Amino acid sequence: MISLQNVSKYYPAGFGKTYVLRNITLDINEGEFVSIMGPSGSGKSTLLHILGMLEEPSEGEYLFFDQPVQKLSEKRRTELHRNYIGFVFQAYHLIDELTVYENIETPLLYKGMSSSERKSRVAELLDRFNMVAKKDLFPSQLSGGQQQLVGIARAVASQPKVIFADEPTGNLHSDHAKEIMDLFKKLNKEDGVTIVQVTHSEVNAEYGNRILRLKDGWLESFQVPTLERE
Amino acid sequence: MLRNYLKIAIRNLRKQRGFTFINIFGLATGLACCLLILLYVVDELSFDRFHEKADRIYRINTDIKFGGNDMHMAVSPDPMGPTLLKDYPQVENFVRLHGRGTFLVKQTGQTNNLRENDIMYADSTLFDVFTLPLVVGNPKRALVEPNTVVISESAAKRHFGNENPLGKTLLFDNAFTYRVTGVMRDMPTNAHFRTDFFVCMRSDNYEWGRWLSNNHQTYILLKKGVDAQRFSQNFETVIQKYVGPQAQEFVGATIDQLRQSGNRFEYSLIPMTDIHLHSKQNIELAPNSDIQYVYTFSAVAVFILLIACINFMNLSTARSANRAKEVGVRKVLGSVQRQLIGQFMTESVLMAILAMLLALVIVALTLPFFNDISSKQLTIDQLFIPQFLPVLLVLPLGVGLLAGSYPAFFLSSFRPISVLKGKINLGLKSAGLRSGLVVFQFMMSVILIVGTMVVYRQINFIQTKKVGFNRNQVLTINEAYALGEQTQTFKDEVRKLPGVTNGSVSGYLPVPSNRSDSPLFPEGQREQSKAVSTQQWGVDYDYIPTLGMELKEGRNFSREFGADSTGIILNETAVKVFGFKDPIGKRVWRMLDDEGKVFKTYTVIGVVKNFHFESLRQNIGSVALMMDPNQGAVSFRLNSHDIPALVKQIEAKWKQMAPGMPFSYSFLDDSFDAMYRAEQRVGQIVLTFSVLAILIACLGLFGLAAFMAEQRTKEIGVRKVLGATTASIVGLLSKDFLRLVLIAILIATPIAWYGMNAWLKDFAYKIDVPWWVFVLAGTVAVFIAFVTVSFQSIKAALMNPVKSLRSE
Repeated sequence: MISLQNVSKYYPAGFGKTYVLRNITLDINEGEFVSIMGPSGSGKSTLLHILGMLEEPSEGEYLFFDQPVQKLSEKRRTELHRNYIGFVFQAYHLIDELTVYENIETPLLYKGMSSSERKSRVAELLDRFNMVAKKDLFPSQLSGGQQQLVGIARAVASQPKVIFADEPTGNLHSDHAKEIMDLFKKLNKEDGVTIVQVTHSEVNAEYGNRILRLKDGWLESFQVPTLERE
Repeated sequence: MLRNYLKIAIRNLRKQRGFTFINIFGLATGLACCLLILLYVVDELSFDRFHEKADRIYRINTDIKFGGNDMHMAVSPDPMGPTLLKDYPQVENFVRLHGRGTFLVKQTGQTNNLRENDIMYADSTLFDVFTLPLVVGNPKRALVEPNTVVISESAAKRHFGNENPLGKTLLFDNAFTYRVTGVMRDMPTNAHFRTDFFVCMRSDNYEWGRWLSNNHQTYILLKKGVDAQRFSQNFETVIQKYVGPQAQEFVGATIDQLRQSGNRFEYSLIPMTDIHLHSKQNIELAPNSDIQYVYTFSAVAVFILLIACINFMNLSTARSANRAKEVGVRKVLGSVQRQLIGQFMTESVLMAILAMLLALVIVALTLPFFNDISSKQLTIDQLFIPQFLPVLLVLPLGVGLLAGSYPAFFLSSFRPISVLKGKINLGLKSAGLRSGLVVFQFMMSVILIVGTMVVYRQINFIQTKKVGFNRNQVLTINEAYALGEQTQTFKDEVRKLPGVTNGSVSGYLPVPSNRSDSPLFPEGQREQSKAVSTQQWGVDYDYIPTLGMELKEGRNFSREFGADSTGIILNETAVKVFGFKDPIGKRVWRMLDDEGKVFKTYTVIGVVKNFHFESLRQNIGSVALMMDPNQGAVSFRLNSHDIPALVKQIEAKWKQMAPGMPFSYSFLDDSFDAMYRAEQRVGQIVLTFSVLAILIACLGLFGLAAFMAEQRTKEIGVRKVLGATTASIVGLLSKDFLRLVLIAILIATPIAWYGMNAWLKDFAYKIDVPWWVFVLAGTVAVFIAFVTVSFQSIKAALMNPVKSLRSE
């Protein structure tokens, strides 16, 4: 599903370049739950952004469902965002002016879904995430964990193939974090959504079936012993 | 999708109430100014278009240079209309008007007279050419018989109440009886002349058939498809065929000979719809406006709208920085740029529509005031005619789209991740453009301030200029002819009242009125080329002292000199035109007949210093004063602290000598001021709108400063923790804005200088644009900007740093 070939990312710095990612080659299959780990500045967020097509690699090739991403038009890329990809951010990035209901509805609007379809889809998500009572509240009226729940509901609303999560629990305390991680696990298992997360925490990383470790832009990948799918 | 946009827009607007208020209110004020000016301009442009055949009606203008004087007149010879109709099949019809001014009118049998202004003679074809619907009467027959009159509905109400006036008679000046044969609807206000009374032309006891006298406004109706420009080439044939023989007969020279000696005879056509804004002829039926004012006001409107739009744009852009996250999120969720643009556009159009609604409210509230200063009768419902609807829709739409375009395109073009990561500080990124816009705004404000000051100084200059006579406390009696033979007695009686220092009976006063030049000749030289075209005013012994004119040399008319009936006093211009080195004792000839055969010899006894008798837009022409006691204007010089009481006493004398006649008077300085009412009006309107422009610009600056202060909250906090004083922070925040205002002043100065000199060029007597006007305008702009900005900077500087840092 996702295939990176010798992908590097650098920024010009003075006369030379500063490498953020070096020569990454990586395959992720449908249905996997991948955790990307590494110390600060190791390039894990950059890698996630490249995977999520929010940034472009400086070198190398990226195939998403066998399509070369670099050659895609802006329009086609937006279409992928609409139909295949969901994002969850550390800072939730909900739209402050919209209610819980409307935040979840937004990607469906962009997808061009009919009003009745949207209604039933949002209702189903609210139900599933236990937020029916909160649907008319604004993000500022919710706790962090609740906000992230909305963030995840919004990410899965358009039934994406893959969710990219950038430190989804980074701003939450451990109880909430566990709740969120269980949710990801559930999505991965029950819905078969591929999940790629960046995390600092070994505990959270363990939720995945594969851990990718980054150091100074290099990938030192190895299989996690507990990768066997239950 | 649109609903989603609207929802977000409304919530955003509500969330940032202050910003929304400033933005909408500023734009609404700008739009309101625009709408007011639009109403004014449309009204100006609509003059005379209510006539169904307006596009085919032309007035004949006469341009004659005769005896050294140029005359550009709105009147033409009486046979012109009939001749054109007879000789040229292109002419469908004609109508002549002859303005007769003010009469005292009453229904026959009644005692009380009413003053009625602008009464005129009209041909019976009036209703065929013009569109003046009759409520009562037959337009085909109404003005055919002599001594008939068509009156307006309001005049009918004044004189006949609810009775049917048809067939009843009106008495004019207690002498002429006219039978009412029709009642027309009141003439619209947007006509280049208005009257309540059209008297049948055949009632006029005129010596018809004179090609050398120009007394009638002649309007011709051309047939469909006739080109007026080409048609007017026929005037040369008319001149040769008709004017020529009469010139030969009366002046003793052929047209060609006259032309060779520097004279000119020309007729031309002006479309009736152009008269109000483009005609500057003498002897118009009513004062016209000027297309220049239409341009000036339109420019001011565009200026203000631009300033308001810039505000709108500036504030929206600045505020949009706070929306960056939303944009990023939306892009990640799959919004394409087009949709984001749509969203921002929706928002700004929504605001613009709200502003437009508010603007309509403002217009409704301020229209009476605007009518007052522009002396128009505009109504708000004039905005809702079909032609205006597109404007009402397009204006907010256009403004909204224009103002929304920058934030829309700018914000939506970012890569979402850079926005989400907070890498780009959008507020600072667009600072360059915003600075440019602020400079532009203040530049226009400074130009408007300078313009206002120069206009006011010029008007002030005119009003206080030494005009060559003392116009203070000079009272003139209107309609003095009502006194008849008692005139002299009345003057003498009033003269005896304490507080009246002098009095005079004369033909003309030094204020604009209908009068024409006639030729004087140096003694013994009756050739046309030697003629000096001169205003010839009949006066009495007391004219010069009453009006406070000064003699340069010689003496005034005096009772001690028996031969003063042949004495003449010239003004300096006349002396110069005659070329007299030592004018006293020189003799001049005055033509007494039209043929140029009978002359009377006058001896120059004095030279009066030049005085202004027309608008200061014009140079002073030649004037000759002669003794003639049988004249109609009575004026008194007063010297009293209790003018009203004195006027009451004069009125009492009037009542004795002219019973039944309304007493009406005016002060010379008022009449003088009336000359410049147009300028004053322009001045007032420009002043009002420049104040508004500055207000709007400040509103924008206020919002912008608030935003900048907010953006730099953290910086301010850090600086304060590090020990910065409040003053230094205020300086820091104000410095940037003041620099922009200074740049604006530098750019505005030459533009304003050039513009004001162009405006002043119109005046024969004018001020120089003083340098300090620019300094003052600049200081005002800087001061206002500083006050506006420092309010925000001080607020920001006084904030507790801990608060701003903790929120980060």
